[in-house]
Parts: sequence; structure tokens; C-alpha cells
Amino acid sequence: MSWLDSQSFLGANSEQRLAEMTVGLVGLGGGNSHVAQQLAHAGVGHFVLADADHISLTNLNRLIGGTWWYVLKRTAKVAIMKRMILAINPKALVEIHCKQWQLAGDALKRCEVIVGGLDNVRGKDELDAFCRRFLIPYIDQGMDVHKLGAGHGHLVAGQVVLSEPGSPCLRCMGIVTDAALAEESRKYGAAGGRPQVVWSNGVLASLAVGLVVQMVTPWTRRARPGAYLSYDGNSALVKEAERFRRWTAASCSHYPHIAVGDPSFDIRKLVVGDVNTAHAPLRWMEWIIRFIRK
Amino acid sequence: MKVSLKITGSLLDMVRRDLARPHFLAHERVGFLTAGAAAVPDALMLLVRAYMPVADEDYEVDPKVGARIGSNAMRKAAQAAYRPASTLLHVHTHGGRGLPGFSGVDLESGNEFVPGFFQSCPKMPHGLMVLSDNGATGLLWLEPGKSSMSIDRFIRVDQPIVEQWSAKYELA
Repeated sequence: MSWLDSQSFLGANSEQRLAEMTVGLVGLGGGNSHVAQQLAHAGVGHFVLADADHISLTNLNRLIGGTWWYVLKRTAKVAIMKRMILAINPKALVEIHCKQWQLAGDALKRCEVIVGGLDNVRGKDELDAFCRRFLIPYIDQGMDVHKLGAGHGHLVAGQVVLSEPGSPCLRCMGIVTDAALAEESRKYGAAGGRPQVVWSNGVLASLAVGLVVQMVTPWTRRARPGAYLSYDGNSALVKEAERFRRWTAASCSHYPHIAVGDPSFDIRKLVVGDVNTAHAPLRWMEWIIRFIRK
Repeated sequence: MKVSLKITGSLLDMVRRDLARPHFLAHERVGFLTAGAAAVPDALMLLVRAYMPVADEDYEVDPKVGARIGSNAMRKAAQAAYRPASTLLHVHTHGGRGLPGFSGVDLESGNEFVPGFFQSCPKMPHGLMVLSDNGATGLLWLEPGKSSMSIDRFIRVDQPIVEQWSAKYELA
């Protein structure tokens, strides 16, 4: 009996599908730390993690897997997540990139799904464009804390958006707007630099994980491509966003199908590269030569 | 080098619907897929952009094969792949279920006309694809005049995402 046997309701081959799929997690902050943990429990077998940050004291209130020990060691967030995933599923293959996600493009291109945990609009926009170019469904999580009027406290609100081929993109759904790009620097708004949002991150991350599982297993089908789930943290309600429900355009105008693929691709360069590497010395020979030189 | 091909579910369904239409003189229909490409470490990824059916009037009479298309159809396909530079994949279906295979005629004619695709778009690889009702097989030429390689992995980007890797799952 496998530790994933109770997931049989997800449909035929679902355990195998989850084990074979590669999920990219971009930005390993509060939101995606929940996602990494849950996907490891769900049995996802391959991960590509990209984040340039190291844990600091201010992350300890929301980073799942974060500990004082890691803070003292200034451990990279991707390394913390890798250890957490392997502690849950030792068979998982976890590739980590402690650098900006744009520098890990080759690894991310291989992913079947990418889940974004970026806290800046420009980054979300660029990642959505990247995913559209390589036909990768992209799940974006966003959370914000707004100060209400005097005496009314704060509003915790967020959203999870699935942008995939055939669905509206983040621009169509109003997540990325020129105004939002201009206002980029505000980040967490009224709540300051270290908001206590671990529970609301968890809600959004669980919704994102649900979308990942739904996309890989034959468990259930959504009525149409894409998703936009809106979360009101104060009233603890999640609903489909009105904007998504009313979206009736035949296709997204920002990312036409004709634009998929790498525009600078040239097979002639690839073939030449292949020929050159075919004559390169074997890796074990390189190792012996290096050892002798030492 | 491994080759994978990604196609959206809606486009694949459209291709199947089009190829299933009867033709007044040909026994089967053919079409062309245009695709973008991307290099990933030790692999090549084809990302299908669009489907171009062969127009009814571009088929020629030939009782020896299921379908013969004229130079007009080839010219239109080459034109479609010219800008933006696209991979051209000649596609037809054998119907039935399971992993389809190329017939001798498919391979022979492919060896003849695929090198011609490099004339209009030398920077992209080109090839052939055959479908069944739930699977696909493909061949890709990286250079004209060289031998082809098989497309190892087909991914239907849909709900759910379906992968056909060594015929383990149905592409559907």
C-alpha cells in the first residue's frame, strides 16, 4: 500500500501523473512555501524552485518551514523548501535555483505548471508572458492588506488566478494594469513590511494547489479555461471574480497563439552545438584528468 | 536529444474534426501544423501555433494513395511558415485507437517533401505527424538530407493536462 492510496478518488493513474509532473514554484515566500509543502504531500514528483532570497527574521511569521536555525544561518529559501519537500517525499526530484527566476528560464520551460508567489506586478506580468510563450498554465497568487477608514481596521484580500492557453491572461483580468505597474513600490501597502498573513496565504495556497491537482488528474473539470478566485479575508469568503465571470472575449488579445515559442530559436545553431558537445571528452575522463593535475 | 510537442486541447480537437471530414475525391484529409520551438537542455520543444487545413481544391487524383496534395498546398504551407518562422508538421490521421504508425507511403513521401520545407524556413525543424483517435506519432528532421528523429513526447495542454510518453497515456 502506498502513502498516496487514499487519493484514488482523483481518478485513474492520478498518483503516477502527480509523480511524473514537474511543477515550477517561482518566489518561495509565504504563499509558495505553503504550496511547496502541500504539493509534496500530494505526491508531486518533480519540482523546480526559483528564488534569489535568503530567509531573514522578518520572514519567520509566514514562511512555512522557516526556523530560527535557518535564520541564524541565513539559509536560501529554495534550500529550506527543498529540505521540507524531501522530508515529506524523499523520492521527489527538487531542482533549486537561488537566483532570479529569469535566469532559470531553461529549467522553468520544462515545467507542466508554474505557480507564482511573486509580490510585484511587473514580475507577475513577465512570468505570465513567459508561461504563455511556452504553453505553460500559470497560477498566480496575490495578497494585500488595505487600511480602511478611521476606526475600521484593515482589509485582508487576495486572489488566485489561473492563466492558461485559451483563458484570459493577468492583463485581461485586471491583475496587471498600467496603474498597478506604476504603483509598484507599495508592496504590502498599509500593513508595512512584515505583515502577519500566514493564514490568508494558506487559504490562497490551498486554492492554488487545488487548481494544480485539478489540472493534472481527471478528478473534476472546470466549466471553462482559466480561473479567478477572489478571497475576502475579513469575511472568510472565496468566490469567482465578477470580472472573470463576465469575460466573454473569444481569446486573449495580449498573447496571440502565433507568438508561442522562442523567437530567436535557430535549429542550425542547436545542431552545431550538439555536434560540438558530441566530441567533448566524457565527464569521468574530465574528472580523472582534474584529479591527476591536482 | 529528446523532442517534445505541446498542443492545446482545443486545437487538437479542431485538427481531428477537420481531418475526419470526408473529401469528394481523396480517401483521407491532410493538413499542416505550424509550431514555434524552444531549446531546453538536451531537448527540443515544439509549441504548436495553428492548424492549416488543405483546401478541397488542392487535392489531386491518385488512386494509389489516400490523399495526394498538389504544389499549391505545399506553397501555401511554406508561406504560412515563412513569417514568423515556424516549424511545419504535415499531419493526417489513421483513425482507430492506440499508438499510430507511419505507412511506407507516408515515410517515402515525407522523405521527399519535408526537405523542401527548409527552403522557405531553414532556421526551424520540420516533420510529419500521424494521429489516431487517441494517440499521436511524429518524426522530425533537424536538417534537410539528414535522417529524422522521432517525437518522444506529446503533451495536450488542456484540462487535465495529458501526456503521451511512450504511449503510456492516451493523448485523446
